[in-house]
This record gives sequence, C-alpha cells and structure tokens, in this order.
Amino acid sequence: MAEVNMEQLLNCALCPNMCRNECPVLQILGREAVAPSGKARISAMIKEGHLAWDEAMLEATSNCLGCRGCTIHCPFPELNLCDELLFTRLTAKADGVGLPACEPYLNNLKRYSSPYGQKTSVVVKPDQGTEVLIFNGCTSLANNPASIEAVRSLLNKAGVSYQMIDEDCCGYPAEVWGDKELARQLAAENNRKFKESGAKKLITNCPECWSTFTRRYPDWDQQVPLEIIDGPTFFLQLIRDGHLQPTQSGLPDQKIDPGNKTVSYHDPCIWARTAEKTEQPREILQSIPGITVQEPFTFGACTRCCGGGSMFQLSFPRTASAIARSRLEEFPAGAALVTACPFCREGLFQDGRPVLELVELLDRACQ
Amino acid sequence: MVDLMRTVLQKVQVEQTLIDQYAREAAKIVGEDNVSVNRADLLATCRDYWPVNNVWMVEGAVPALPQLVVWPQNTSEVSRLLALANAKKIPVTPFGEGSGALGGVVPLKGGITMDLKRINKIRFIDHENLMVTVDCGMNGALYEEELNRAGYTGGHFPQSLRCSTVGGWLSCRAAGQFSTRYGKIEDMVVSLEAVLPDGTVFSGRSVPRTATGPRVDHLMLGSEGTLGIITSAALRIWPLPGKRHLASYTFERLEDGLEAIRLFMRAGTRPAVVRLYDAQETGNHFPELGDKRCALILIIEGSAKIVDAETSVIEDCVTGQGGLDEGAEHVEHWLEKRFNIGVASMLFQKGAVLDTIEVTTNWHNAHSTYLAMQQALLAVEGTMLASGHYSHVYPEGAALYVTMVGFPGDHKLAYYKNLWQAAMEAAITEGAAISHHHGVGLHRGLWMAEEHGSGMDVLRKIKAAFDPHGIMNPGKLGLEEVQEWQK
Ligand SMILES: Cc1cc2nc3c(=O)[nH]c(=O)nc-3n(C[C@H](O)[C@H](O)[C@H](O)COP(=O)(O)OP(=O)(O)OC[C@H]3O[C@@H](n4cnc5c(N)ncnc54)[C@H](O)[C@@H]3O)c2cc1C
Ligand code: SF4
Ligand code: SF4
Repeated sequence: MAEVNMEQLLNCALCPNMCRNECPVLQILGREAVAPSGKARISAMIKEGHLAWDEAMLEATSNCLGCRGCTIHCPFPELNLCDELLFTRLTAKADGVGLPACEPYLNNLKRYSSPYGQKTSVVVKPDQGTEVLIFNGCTSLANNPASIEAVRSLLNKAGVSYQMIDEDCCGYPAEVWGDKELARQLAAENNRKFKESGAKKLITNCPECWSTFTRRYPDWDQQVPLEIIDGPTFFLQLIRDGHLQPTQSGLPDQKIDPGNKTVSYHDPCIWARTAEKTEQPREILQSIPGITVQEPFTFGACTRCCGGGSMFQLSFPRTASAIARSRLEEFPAGAALVTACPFCREGLFQDGRPVLELVELLDRACQ
Repeated sequence: MVDLMRTVLQKVQVEQTLIDQYAREAAKIVGEDNVSVNRADLLATCRDYWPVNNVWMVEGAVPALPQLVVWPQNTSEVSRLLALANAKKIPVTPFGEGSGALGGVVPLKGGITMDLKRINKIRFIDHENLMVTVDCGMNGALYEEELNRAGYTGGHFPQSLRCSTVGGWLSCRAAGQFSTRYGKIEDMVVSLEAVLPDGTVFSGRSVPRTATGPRVDHLMLGSEGTLGIITSAALRIWPLPGKRHLASYTFERLEDGLEAIRLFMRAGTRPAVVRLYDAQETGNHFPELGDKRCALILIIEGSAKIVDAETSVIEDCVTGQGGLDEGAEHVEHWLEKRFNIGVASMLFQKGAVLDTIEVTTNWHNAHSTYLAMQQALLAVEGTMLASGHYSHVYPEGAALYVTMVGFPGDHKLAYYKNLWQAAMEAAITEGAAISHHHGVGLHRGLWMAEEHGSGMDVLRKIKAAFDPHGIMNPGKLGLEEVQEWQK
C-alpha cells in the first residue's frame, strides 16, 4: 500500500507555493486552502496528528485535479503532490469523514461498476488469436459513444482484430472518493476479465484509465496481466506502418467560420506530464492532409488542465466548468479543438466550437 | 473533534456574536460562497512565509487565527465590507498570496481576513499611454503572462513572482530582479485606487505627474494593509525588449565590483539586472567560477541601439576595475534557476533556521554594511553561513541582500530573534535603511522607531486619520507594540 512520503509532503508544506500560478483550481477559486501548499499543509498536519479531519479539510484537499501543473516549476522532482494528497485523504474514511457530494457516484460505482450509473457496455467478441483488447473507459461509454465508434471504424479500416469486453470502471474514481477497497475490487474484476480474454495488449484512449492501470493497479496489488498501450502511441503506429492512411482533412464544417481548417490540440495533462506523450498526437495530426495545426498559449508538458481531472466534472462541476472556460481562452480563435481524452472533450465542449477526440478526427480523415 | 493546533501570538479575539452578525451581513454583500468560517480556510489564511510560521507549523501551532474569511470580488464589495467591519470595530487583515516574509498577514487579533484573490483581472491595457490598470489580487506571473501576450512586459520580477499579487507588491514596496532598468514597484505606479476603513473609495489621476498637493493615493504604497485596501493600480508597462545582452564578470574584491557598478550607474546606464555576489555566494550559485572571486551578472535590455551603447559604457567601467569577462552562460544559468528555492525547505527539514535580510545602503557604506552585518551574524552562536549580494542598484546606492543559515538545535525562535537583532543593529549602526523591499510586517516593526525617529509619530498620526478605530491589520508596521512578540 502506498504510504505518504512525509519528507516530500513536508517540503511542499514548507514551500511558499512557488507553483500557485499553475494550479487551475486555486486560480479559479482564489481560495488559499486549495493552494498546492495549502493542501499540503492541511495534509501534513493531519498526518502528524495535529489536526483531525473535518468535511471542509477533506473538501479542500480533494480540490486537486491530479493535473500535475504544480510540477512544472516545482523544485522537488520526487514530489508528486496529487498522490500525497490522495494517499492522505484515504485516511478520512476511517475517521468517518466523507464528501456528501460524491456519495451518489460512489453508490453508482458499487451498484453498476460505473460512476455514471447504469452501464452501457460495448462488447465485441474476439476472433481466434485476437491480441488487442480495447478498454473504452466509463466516460467515453457514458458521454461520447461516437469516439468508441471511431475507434472501431479505425480498427476495421486498419484490419486489426480486436475485442471489447463488458468492462468495469478502472477503479480510480473510487480511490479519489476515498474508497480504496472498492477500487481494488473493481481492479480485481477487470483483471479477471483481462485474463479471461486471452488478449495480450490493453489499449486505452482514456488517460485516467491508463494512469490507473500503470500506476495504481500495482499499488493495489493488482498488476495488469497485459501490455498496456496508450491510444495515441497505438494509433500512430498504425499510421507509421501504413495500416491507416489519412487522405482528407476530416474536419466537420464549422458554422462560424466554414473555411477555417485550423486545428488546435489540447494536451491532456496525463498524456503530457505523466506519460510524456506530446509528440505522438502531433505526429498523428501532421499526417492528416489539409489542416493547419496551431498551438494554444500553453501546450506540451506545460499544458493547463481542462478542469476534468480526478473526476472533477462529477465532484466539483462548477469549478470544472470554470476551469474549462479559462483554458478555452488560450486557444486561437476559430480553430477546431482536438484532444485525446474523454474528460477533456467533455469539459472543453462549452463555447460552441467543435471539439473532437483525436480518434474521431483521424477516422474522418481516413477513408 | 480533537484539534491540537494552538495559536502562539493571539491573546484576543472578537466576540463570536459580532462575527456571526458580520458573517450574515457580509453574505448579503458578497454571497454565501464568498464567506467562510471553516477551519480549512481559517488555517490557510493565518500565515505567510515568515520563517517563524514554519517553525510553529511543524510543532502543530499557528501564529493566530482569523475568525472569518471573506472574498470580495470588486472594489464596491471591498468598500461595503470594510464599512461594515469599521462600524462593528472588527479587525481586518488583507491577504494577497501570503508570500510576505515578515508575518504581515498574521491576524493578531482575530477578526476578518479579507482574501483579495477574487479581484484578479487586468482591467485595461492602454496601448497609447503605455499603462495597464490591474486588480490587486492578480497573481504576478499571470499578470506578466497576460502582458506578454499583448506584447508588453510589466518589468517586475520578484523571486516570488509566481506566488505574490500585484496588491501585495504595492503594499510592501516590492522590488523585482530587473529593477535597475524598470524600477521598484513604487517607480512603476502611475496611480492607485484604494478603500479606507470607512468605505471611502479614492484614486489618483493616471497622468504622468501632478502638482496638486501630496499624492494621497501614493500614501498607500508600503502601508501593508494598515491604512486600507489597495484595490487596483495603473502601472507602467514597456514593449517587450528588442534585444537582450547577457554578461558576467568576476572581481578579485567585492569593493571593486561595487565601484564598477557605481561608475556605470553614474555614467547613466540602466542595465535591467545587476547582481554582485560575495565570494561565498559566487561559489554556491556558480560553482564553476570557484569561491575566491566575486561574480557580477548583468542583463542589459531594450532597443538594440541603446543596449549596444550601454554595453560598451558598462564594459569600460567593469574592466577598468579589474573585472574579468566570464561570458553569458552563467547568466543563462541564473535565469534558469532564479525561482528555485527548494534548498530552503530541505535545510529546514535538517534542522536549519534560514532567512534573508535586505537593507539599503548608499555607495559610501555599501561595503562596510556588508562586513558589519556578516560579522554580527557570524557572532551569533549556531550560525553556519552569512553571505551577501547586491541586487538592486541606483545612482545613489544599492540594496544589500544577506542570507544566513544556522543550526541552533532546539532554540530556534531565540536564535532567530538573536540573528535579526544582530543584523538590524549592525545595519542601523552603519547608517543603512532597515528594509529595501520585504517590508515590515510584524517582525521588523521592532526596529521601526529607530528607523524613523520622529517620523514614526507622523506615521501614527496618518494611521489615526485613515483608520481611527484601528481595525486595519493591527500590530503591523511597528505602529503598536505586540506583547507576544518582543525583541
Ligand atoms: C520565495 C520568496 C521570494 C521573495 N522575493 C521577493 C523579491 O524578490 N522582491 C520582493 O520585493 N519581495 C520578495 N518576497 C516577499 C513577498 O513576495 C513580497 O512582499 C510580496 O510583495 C507580497 O505579496 P503577497 O501578495 O504575497 O502579499 P501578502 O503576503 O499576502 O501580504 C503582504 C502584506 O500586504 C498586505 N496586503 C496584501 N495585499 C494588499 C492589498 N491589496 N491592500 C492592502 N494591503 C495588502 C497584507 O495584509 C500584508 O500585510 C519574496 C517572498 C518569498 C516567499
Ligand atoms: S508542488 Fe512544489 S512548487 Fe508547488 S507548493 Fe509544493 S513544493 Fe512548492
Ligand atoms: S495537481 Fe493540479 S490541481 Fe492538484 S495541486 Fe497540482 S496544479 Fe493544483
């Protein structure tokens, strides 16, 4: 079980918030208790036994997107503040403190294995020797079935045999909301299905799921028995190998500026800062003819969160949406937005301009 | 629920029924979401980066706690909230981003902490007149970023750029690393808008200069929340520089470096960055230069032709004093590392007390003040290091910035007080001013009477006129004695 790294947490608690300009939650709320070091101070004092949990402290320390924006300027390479906050929060349950706003979603997880309620599964049975298992993730399943259709269409065009299973939530939301046991159960159930599938490679377009499989499952003693590949890397390889050939821009007609073929890519935080996948999506975009790619004000490893990390769209919907609006101001006017995360797509879809998942654009570009 | 956090400096609080009443009325002004009495918010706003706060934190203590936090969103809300507090005589402590180094935001008498971070926009960039009107609660780095996007720089880069607000800069008379060209924050102010405790909103004219009596808006500069609240400012801005020249030199002696700087300032050059380190800091920051010589790093920026001319004058002055050219790479290294203060937390965890003290000298006592402060600090038992650099220079003199580290064992607070006492006494004896840019807060108030002489009474009279009930940030700026914090 992951322990709080007290030395690192204290380094942060002692810091004057040298990264506060990059913390989207703080910048939207303007509230000291949610500043990176503010959250670290509460956590450290609780861990040291100087403070006891109450709902306000749990709420403040839960106000972390897991975006790692604070790492951009952080002098401590070994500090992973969002993990330290997460691990500290796990002690609140034992003290009988939880967040009422998250209860309904925890109940959904317990009942339906999805935070969104009744699951809409997409199951594709394997052919003989199918190696590839696609894990869609609850958020795409619930909010953007079109991206799942795009994945299926792309795999068909590329001639890749694949399967999709009756997947359960990866478990991360359960841990975020303080129920590690539930997270572990969901992980065990997924792992059972992974083993049963006979697949060798687990591909997911959801950065939160990817991060959970690679970083949290080992911590829950639930090592994934398959090779885990992120969506951008997988689809780029299909292009490089000539299995996918984009031939047209694929951009939907824009109502406001129909001739505009500019695309701006929003780096999802996890792909950019945890997985370090900033080149792959751009190479995919460059392979698409007829579009011009223009970067937003911050991009790559310095990207700013859309407000959708760590289940914010459910836990703190107003904050999530305010962060998304602030992020939208960084994009060139008139450009279509492309991203590679179901939470980012959902969050950025606010000001009427098209927001596509990378797989959707790629599918439209490949005939 | 058990809560072991104790308050060290707070002996009084406001009666709870008054706070409850205030909370209800404040919620009508700013909305319920913008008023809080929960422990997370009270704890978060009770402290700044005064090193003593960290000593207490790890012991499970805080200096003092506010009883209510309120977030106004505009000047009119600040006005109504202050008038309400004034009518009830409840103390109000303004809070920016809590990067102050001397306990300025500690709510010594409880009451209300007014967090100003929700007043945080650039209101207007005036391209023709090269000014920006900006709200007090805007974060420094985001301010500079937004100006850059419009093709300008604010020219203000304190090391705390990313963790301080524009209002905090103005309230503490802050200085940025590029101050020699762009000025200290007070040099950038065209006008201020502020609110007095009784709710009066006033502002100065945003014209270059006036001759219509004292500038009352400028009285708010450096007032550290004791007179009222600065809500916005019109500040100078500059087009992004066309050219930037980086240069570094080393000198055999610190005095030679100081003389070179004095000469190029006298000649009329204004490099943006001028930093002269003693041999010890040269070794710490630029190990490849060794620790025998004193490094000078320079950034000269602006229009290309002016930069070229300044560079040539500066080179003459520097080489004339025996400066050896060390190239641009050390300056690049400094630019990269200049916001990294990780070592402070690491040393703290190893038991160290670390602090920095900045004072202002003229040229005639620039070097002697350095020697006297260093000697005084090293004489305090437990001190391991007392080093210095000069980082803001003027035709009349320079700011000296001293860093000290000591391992006092269990007597951290006593040691801390002794360090400051030694440093302040040495600075005062040498004729230096006791602060260049960190301000006074709680701690430096102990030497304000010596600093100001009869001027202190004038300051108290101004305070009484602006804030007759004494609600604004009580116990700061040395305006009154704080029983719990003596020398
Ligand atoms: C790592 C580090 C490096 C630093 N480097 C520098 C540096 O290079 N140069 C420099 O000058 N300083 C520096 N400082 C000191 C500090 O950042 C400055 O004093 C800064 O101006 C404080 O801004 P703040 O928003 O954090 O103010 P706070 O700490 O929140 O408040 C400071 C004081 O001003 C009052 N106040 C704040 N806002 C207002 C307002 N709008 N109206 C009225 N009163 C108000 C508060 O009550 C308090 O008394 C540094 C601090 C740190 C921690
Ligand atoms: S994350 Fe790093 S930079 Fe940010 S407050 Fe913590 S220690 Fe400081
Ligand atoms: S991970 Fe993101 S939301 Fe969390 S403290 Fe860091 S910057 Fe803020």
